Amino acid sequence: MFAVETLSLSKRYGKTDALRELNFTVDEGEIMVILGPNGSGKTTLLMTLCTILKPTSGTAKVMGIDVVKDGTKVREVMGIAFQEARGFWRHKPSSILKFHASMFDIDPVKRQNLIEQTMKELELWESRDKLFMHLSGGQAKRLETAKVLVQRPKLAIFDEPTSQVDLRGKRKIWDKIRELRDQGSTVIVATNEVREAEYLADRVTILHKGTLVVRDSIPKLKDAIAGGDVVEVGFEDPVADKLVEDLKNLGGILTMSPEGNQLRANVSKAEDWVPRMTSASYNVGAKISTIKITEPSLDDVFLHFTGKSLEENP
Amino acid sequence: MSEFSRFVHIARTDFSYFFRTKWLMAILISLNISDMLVTGLVYKGLVSFDYFRFLVPGIVVMGLFSAATDTGRRIWLALREGVVQYYMTLPVRTSGLVAAYIISGGLGGIVYSGLLLIIAFVVVPPQGIMNAILLLPFLFILATGIAGLAAFFASISRVGEIYWTYAQALQVSMVTISTIFYPASTISQYLPGPIVAIAENNPLSLAASALRDSAFGGSALSTGIVGNLLGVSLPLAGVGALSYWVILRTIRVKGKP
Repeated sequence: MFAVETLSLSKRYGKTDALRELNFTVDEGEIMVILGPNGSGKTTLLMTLCTILKPTSGTAKVMGIDVVKDGTKVREVMGIAFQEARGFWRHKPSSILKFHASMFDIDPVKRQNLIEQTMKELELWESRDKLFMHLSGGQAKRLETAKVLVQRPKLAIFDEPTSQVDLRGKRKIWDKIRELRDQGSTVIVATNEVREAEYLADRVTILHKGTLVVRDSIPKLKDAIAGGDVVEVGFEDPVADKLVEDLKNLGGILTMSPEGNQLRANVSKAEDWVPRMTSASYNVGAKISTIKITEPSLDDVFLHFTGKSLEENP
Repeated sequence: MSEFSRFVHIARTDFSYFFRTKWLMAILISLNISDMLVTGLVYKGLVSFDYFRFLVPGIVVMGLFSAATDTGRRIWLALREGVVQYYMTLPVRTSGLVAAYIISGGLGGIVYSGLLLIIAFVVVPPQGIMNAILLLPFLFILATGIAGLAAFFASISRVGEIYWTYAQALQVSMVTISTIFYPASTISQYLPGPIVAIAENNPLSLAASALRDSAFGGSALSTGIVGNLLGVSLPLAGVGALSYWVILRTIRVKGKP
């Protein structure tokens, strides 16, 4: 059974198709990162999974439970941290967390400790006496994340969990999300931040204009870009024509440009090509001084599959 | 925790939120009381004890009205600040969310008017405390009805100013065309018959009359008045619940209220 499964899921707002016939699955116990620019349908998908939105057509199941037919049961097993923090404006963070924990049957004995621990870990403890409406954007966002961490649901959903959060805070949130996965939760993270996706993802789903473009692990997505890895090799002597010929015959190479002592090659899988290149160099007596490998970024992956950059508007 | 416990918990949280705006409530009620006193001055030249006795139950009902209509403000804020969307992710049915808001509105109304009633009993000796206690459940239903009406206005208001306009219009119409400030006999001297009929059957008038007659006057609780109170309040609560339910359904379909 998948933790999440959608079949031909569509959502339309007026004349705009936010999701189009989406078939999407998430395995139990993995972190699935949904990557896409603003307007790609990420939030609509998450809102549908957490039963706030009703699909226009198609079905969606969370832990095997239909989100339309049995919404209350779905809500028992999932928790969501919204893109925009949502809280009772005149409540303190600990009251908000206590309310949330009690709604999800967190053991009252352990509740207080869990809340205190989570607030300390997310650096919210100092702000425990502030009202929600007086929290900074980053604090409110961390509180939003804290709700899900305290809840520890079977399916945890985070919509852009670190937007408005400083660099140190980002790292903490990411680590807590991974910890949540390690404790057995299935996690979905929607983001348009490449670093966040790289840090968190077991697998990535790329959404573009409401459709699923591709879904795989990050290394496989990167490998899917022919010539995506750039290898720059420095030799002690100028690159010989014989070596260039030999390297061309190795295969797996898209372009190669020798220039003086330097050789730059675009290859599909650097991890396969580099050992063969070093052997070939050794065979012709060429001594290597430096090797620099640059992998494609997820932005390159996105560009490759959609023809657009993540930062571009849809 | 059962779904019912969660429902109670949501109602309790919203009810506690009501107390966080207690000073706003106090100011609203003070404004109303000062209106009433000014009216009293105009009505009889000066506030006599008779008029004071007439006015005090009206103040209690006014408190109930102000506190119950605060439900609309809370619903409006919850809709616009996204708290409603948060509620929609909790393991409670939509109908449970609706009922929680309406009931907490009713509780707000009854608690506020109950406190005012206790103060009123200190300044105007009660003749029928038991009657007052018997009236409380009916006042609670009236408060849910007013909360429902406020929820309806919150649901149809896209911007805050519009909601305040509706709320003020509701207050002016329900309080002005009522027997809270003046007896029906006075209204009939200056206004046409249909207006007098509306004022007499206004649920706030019914509640004020029931308090005057049975809690402060010592007469037996009139089943007719109580029946009318229920007859007017329950449909209002129903309309409010339905409109709030519709707005939640709209969010599910359109993504926004």
